[in-house]
Amino acid sequence: MSASFERLIDGIIDALQSHVVPNSNDDFVRGQVFSAIYALNGLKLAADWRAGPLLEQVRLQDETFAAVQRLADGMAHPEIPATPRIPGDISDAAVIEALRDDGDRRLGQLLLWASDEGARAADPNAAAEIERLLRRAICDQLKIELATTPKSMLQQIAGGEREGGAAQG
Amino acid sequence: MTREAAKRSDDVREPARPVAVNDDAVRSALAQHLSRISGSRTEIVSFGRKSSGFSWITYAFVARSAAEGDRKLILRVGPPNGLFAPYSVLPQVYALQSLHGSGVPVPALVSAEQDGAEIGFPFFICAHIEGDVPAPWAASELDPDHKRDIARQFVEILASLHRIDPGTTPFASLQQGEQRAELHAIAGWRTSLARPTARYYPLLDWGGRWLHDNCPQPPRRTIVHGDYRIGNFIEHQRKITAILDWELTHLGDPHEDLAWAMMPTFNARSRKLYGVLERAEVIDLYQRASGIAVSDKSLAFYEAYALYQAAAIQMCAVRAFEVDCFNDMRLAVMASQMPSIVRAFERALEAAA
Repeated sequence: MSASFERLIDGIIDALQSHVVPNSNDDFVRGQVFSAIYALNGLKLAADWRAGPLLEQVRLQDETFAAVQRLADGMAHPEIPATPRIPGDISDAAVIEALRDDGDRRLGQLLLWASDEGARAADPNAAAEIERLLRRAICDQLKIELATTPKSMLQQIAGGEREGGAAQG
Repeated sequence: MTREAAKRSDDVREPARPVAVNDDAVRSALAQHLSRISGSRTEIVSFGRKSSGFSWITYAFVARSAAEGDRKLILRVGPPNGLFAPYSVLPQVYALQSLHGSGVPVPALVSAEQDGAEIGFPFFICAHIEGDVPAPWAASELDPDHKRDIARQFVEILASLHRIDPGTTPFASLQQGEQRAELHAIAGWRTSLARPTARYYPLLDWGGRWLHDNCPQPPRRTIVHGDYRIGNFIEHQRKITAILDWELTHLGDPHEDLAWAMMPTFNARSRKLYGVLERAEVIDLYQRASGIAVSDKSLAFYEAYALYQAAAIQMCAVRAFEVDCFNDMRLAVMASQMPSIVRAFERALEAAA
């Protein structure tokens, strides 16, 4: 979903306060909305993204960096970080998320390098193998994100429909 | 952006409001504008927003004057905080002016001002067209024969658009310098994706370069609608009566419109156009109607490009929510579509390579 947990919570609260509350004259509905806002404020103070999927992505990136390091042996390439990048005792989702984002940028630099003329001229087989490996690994990382993405509600969101059944999980 | 940085920026920023354009102010300015250009006092009645989109704001209204009686019209305004602001009214004005009376049905243009005139934002006014706009993501309840009629007209109108020599229209002025027009469009999306956002997607960075380096030569450089899909036309009594939303119109490769129109996203997740017309049928009909030979390789390229554009548009929304603090939850939800779009893009690139 959103990269910033707090920003997302702020957006939800603002949507409820600015658009739902002023358009509801039903006291029961307003009570429900204000309770939801209260609960969201609580979540903002106490909750965060789940660290598990982020950790899984960082570990996958680390495996990819190690594999690229082996394949690129002897070639001039962008810097590859030493792995593992996460000491065993880190559970702060914000720190892991920052590492994941940094890993994405480094993977991008390596992919651009591997598919560039310079790397292909230096060792065409290794460059092609690294490009394949990186594309596969980045797609595998996207699969981890997809596993935590709810079913699309595009039709309801675009049309503001009441009917049609809310998407489940 | 780290969590701490996000927190700091939230501390100093006021949330942006999605409605920067005041409807009452627009209504009175519109009356002044129409009174001035017609030379007859004009009253605005039945004024209301037709959409709650992220880009151009659409209003429907009736202009009432002694000289012209009641006219049902449409006003479109480019808001300063829209997803693709700042806006140019020119592509839409060129389209409505030069296509009126051609084989491509468009609403008649009434007035347009890039500098905003009385209204204050770029805008144009055109005739209201009776009919319905089908939703691209809904499985329509229309009978299949009806949909086939519409789908065939949809392809034939696209062919008519691509048959027009752009050199004879104001669209020729859209050509910028010596650069190939289609490369200019790719460069524009790459620049948009390179803007700072919360997430960086390595496959989009790499894929953007691949698209730029491997863009095929067009069979003919034509007017490209830029958003030609189910949902961007009006149909009335089994006939397409107007093609809408010309804001992304440019010169380029006609395969671009064909690939965009056939994206499953705009066809209720179906590989068939409007859920009824097989891909081979679409290509055959288009080739016969346009006289342009469809290249499998170019079509595959533009199918990948369509997904790249879709990703870039989604990232504009993500940026508006995350970075610009534009508070509309629909923008936040668009971020969740990114992994599936990027994966589909990677597969499409594989097919195009």
